[in-house]
Amino acid sequence: MAEKLRIWVAVKHGVDVNLARADRATGLVKLDSAPRRTSDFDKNAVEEAVRLRDKRPGAVVTAISVGGPAAREALRDAVAIGADEAVLVTAPNFAEWDTRAVARLLAAASRALGGFDLFVLGEGSTDHFAGLVGPRLAGELGCADIAYVRRLTVEADGVVAEKDLEKEVETVRARFPVVLTVGQEINTPRLPTFMSNLKASKKEVRVVSPADLSVAAEALAPVVVTERVAVPEVPRKQVTISGASPDELAARLKDALRAEGVLP
Amino acid sequence: MSDEVVLCYSEETGLAEELVRLARAAAPSDGSRVRAVVLPGAPADAADRLVAAGAHGIDAVTGAASPDPAATSDGLRAVVVATAPTLVLIGSTKRGREVTGRLAGALDLPAATGVTALRLDPDGIRVDREALSGNAVAVERIVRRPAVVAVMAGSGAPTATAVTSVDRRTHPVAAFEAKTERSEVRPKAGGQLEIEKADRIVTIGRGLKKKEDLAIIEALAKALSAEVGCTRPLAAESGWLSDDHWIGLTGHRVRPKLYVAIGVSGAVQHLVGMRSSKVVVAVNKDPNAPIFAQADYRITGDLYQVVPALVKAFA
Repeated sequence: MAEKLRIWVAVKHGVDVNLARADRATGLVKLDSAPRRTSDFDKNAVEEAVRLRDKRPGAVVTAISVGGPAAREALRDAVAIGADEAVLVTAPNFAEWDTRAVARLLAAASRALGGFDLFVLGEGSTDHFAGLVGPRLAGELGCADIAYVRRLTVEADGVVAEKDLEKEVETVRARFPVVLTVGQEINTPRLPTFMSNLKASKKEVRVVSPADLSVAAEALAPVVVTERVAVPEVPRKQVTISGASPDELAARLKDALRAEGVLP
Repeated sequence: MSDEVVLCYSEETGLAEELVRLARAAAPSDGSRVRAVVLPGAPADAADRLVAAGAHGIDAVTGAASPDPAATSDGLRAVVVATAPTLVLIGSTKRGREVTGRLAGALDLPAATGVTALRLDPDGIRVDREALSGNAVAVERIVRRPAVVAVMAGSGAPTATAVTSVDRRTHPVAAFEAKTERSEVRPKAGGQLEIEKADRIVTIGRGLKKKEDLAIIEALAKALSAEVGCTRPLAAESGWLSDDHWIGLTGHRVRPKLYVAIGVSGAVQHLVGMRSSKVVVAVNKDPNAPIFAQADYRITGDLYQVVPALVKAFA
């Protein structure tokens, strides 16, 4: 390990799930025009990176985003939480980059810009939630990965992490370099202050292109194309049960559920 | 349509059987082959069960067993190199999704996770998967084969297709390189409840003021012969209920006959967990709560008045 811990953290400027709207007639979600914001778990990733840095003198947190010009907003959020450096990987055709392209660019950037000891990512993005970028990055680099981390301790030459699975929690140890993915249970991201926002807005973002990272355009050609995104139609009766008293409400609901045939 | 070679793997043998049945149903029948991977540490009867599910071939990897995703990925990679599949299906569990990414990254293959339906088309592999925190379904076309696709439990074809002969191969992996080391495994507290199997669920949300008040929710669940579910804050934040009660995107997905949501506002991450329920009842004091848009029967009122009345009515 380098004597100064190098922590990288990836942030995605994704579709705001709460504000995305579907076309009423077709049910298709208009992703191009949907409002975007920093993906939820990525803020947990930045928070965890910043907490680790604060325990290790000299450690540096580099936030990186792959996307279009608007991804600067995600980097601003990361710096406002406490990231030291900000890197944007971008190109005019960023919109067609799939998870493979994003992981390849993150891997190339880490190689070109000095490497990392820890690379922290959200375990899934709020909009896509494939959970692929972190493990893909580790697979491409051939380094250790621990997904679904809920508690993290840094030691001299590696990490000890609690990995959350469906029915159990594992305690797992890995040496640097290691890729970690975290969910929102790991911490509560701090709310930026006026001063931290001001600092973030002034922070210079290092902008690099795939060519700067020696990645050929063909290597980023999409292999997975999203053809449509639609909101499934689950018709609900939306019957309002009202009554003069709680008992009357309860009796009416009971009648309705008996008619539905769902009571024991 | 050209023949497919589909490789199936899950650390959960039951899910691996589903993958085999799904692959048999999805691939053109004449020349296609469906193979199943058995890694070190799998149950002794795994290969027999996968053959019974319809696998034409079994690829047994030998070497040291390890739960490390890099080791799992290395084992699968050895089989991929030896059998040249057109498609690798992996069970979309948490481990499975991690291994999917790892394997796809190592071999530079296209990948998709959380898949609920799959079509092998001439112009690519089309998959249905959840998007927008589970509130939408995306159709993705994977333009290049082979691809690694992680399929959710419950997506498989229901019946097994018999095979007449089985091609069994062994792949010794000498340098199984685990990159992480597991020192402890702890079962999750209270992880006994299988809420997915409940016919009726009464779910409590942030409307509950204190832990002691769970008693009235439990009383209602009892009156309805229901299990108690909860939203994220009650499991992950306050810890009033264990994770096995948690319904939502990162909790459990349920589709009971009756779903009663009490004091649940209806965050999108919760709705994805209950959207497929047959009949939904919502009780909330806020008439504008998003849960009401997903409800068949809506009661606007204070849960502390409504629930005791419901307990009386259903007792």
